[in-house]
Amino acid sequence: MPDGAEHRTFGKAGLGLVTVGALAATASVVAWSLASPSNDPVGAMVSRVGAGWERLTQWYAGNPVADRPNWSAMQVKLLDAQSDRGPDAMVRYGCGACHVIPGVAGARGTVGPSLAGFADRAYIAGILTNAPGNLQRWLIDPPLFAPDTAMPDMSVTEADAADMAAYLLSLTGAP
Amino acid sequence: MNGETTLGRFDTQTALVGAGTGAEMTLVLTVVMTVAAAVIFVAVMGVAWWAWRRETNVRPWWVWTGGVVVPVITLALLVVGSSLTLAAIGEVDEEPAVIEVTGHQYWWDVIHDPRDRSLRDANEIVLPVDQPVTLRLKSEDVIHSFWVPSISGKMDMIPGRTNALTVTATRIGRFRGQCAEFCGLSHPLMAFEVVVVSTENYAAYLDGLETEARDADTLQRTRGRDVFIEAGCPACHAIRGVAEGARIGPDLTRVGGRASLGAGMWAMNVGNLAGWIADVQDMKPGAQMPSYNHLSGPDLRAVAHYLESLK
Repeated sequence: MPDGAEHRTFGKAGLGLVTVGALAATASVVAWSLASPSNDPVGAMVSRVGAGWERLTQWYAGNPVADRPNWSAMQVKLLDAQSDRGPDAMVRYGCGACHVIPGVAGARGTVGPSLAGFADRAYIAGILTNAPGNLQRWLIDPPLFAPDTAMPDMSVTEADAADMAAYLLSLTGAP
Repeated sequence: MNGETTLGRFDTQTALVGAGTGAEMTLVLTVVMTVAAAVIFVAVMGVAWWAWRRETNVRPWWVWTGGVVVPVITLALLVVGSSLTLAAIGEVDEEPAVIEVTGHQYWWDVIHDPRDRSLRDANEIVLPVDQPVTLRLKSEDVIHSFWVPSISGKMDMIPGRTNALTVTATRIGRFRGQCAEFCGLSHPLMAFEVVVVSTENYAAYLDGLETEARDADTLQRTRGRDVFIEAGCPACHAIRGVAEGARIGPDLTRVGGRASLGAGMWAMNVGNLAGWIADVQDMKPGAQMPSYNHLSGPDLRAVAHYLESLK
């Protein structure tokens, strides 16, 4: 078979395919534009992305603090803690003898710093960054991190320390 | 004592759930008087209603009966009943075990068997169950009043006088008592615990009061014992086998074994002990003990851990 014939044959078939493809594309565009938005997955996706983008830009343009994700609350979840059990544990370990702790019965000691607004602190005892895991470890054994501290190791269990850390990290606002 | 060392585990502080013969008798009297008062009230209201709704001729014998005879009989019964109860509660039995309790601002010195063995403890009164115990009540400074509502009536502690109160606890458990006479700035913070135990446990407890304090068995506790001596604590506090003789403050030989700290006020643990030592005046304003806020951090921790280990 001569080369030319082969090319011509292919050319005709190709042209046909392109035409059919173009017609199908046109038809689907027409169908899409005619279809109602409710059963239009592509359009829905496009508009969702658009809305998300719009919210993101608004969030940055507006006050980003107001509805910023609560990262510390999300981290506290990792401790498997229950902040509402914190105050009870704090009464049991006698934290209130040295600290003012809002929401803990009788906690008005002035030996150590007030723990009001603790979630907003950058550091624990000026030593550890105020991350949930660090706070939990600090509560279990303060002298391990600060050998000269007056705060004793009170044989706090891991679970109690997690509950107390979760509670402390729920204390926001000015001290 | 036996494992249960959490403040707040004691029964409700109430005279309406008796755990001692005195409180039980008072409860009977309370119920009888309340019921009698209710019956009389209903009867009087009934008669008043009857008199109001029908025209009657008042007859003299009604007045004599309802106004003189019935009240005299009723009051006489009540006077006899309450006087007998009071006399029974106040009856002092000198034969049984004697415990001497001395009120101080704001804590309680306790001496078991003062005539013979003279065993000292503080702020926690251990009593044997179902056995009459005569409490000899004294005061070192001002008038205090000894009151354990669940076990018996109250009795004043007057300086220069010894009052006696015989009590019989009828139920094993922990009961809260408190000073019931205003005695100064921290009067509301002057409480104590009564621990009622079996006769055998009471004997064991008394034997324990003769032994020396537990050894300082770790490096930190040893340091704590040294701090206790260096800081001058033995001027007021005694620890048997370590520093004896001082009577100004509570005996600390088994301080860590008590359920509470500061005369029945705070749970006994290292945290509260450290806070207490560093700032007594904040926790108990007006107490004789100064705040030891000049101790270094590690020393404060050491002495708190040492005291907590004394059980």
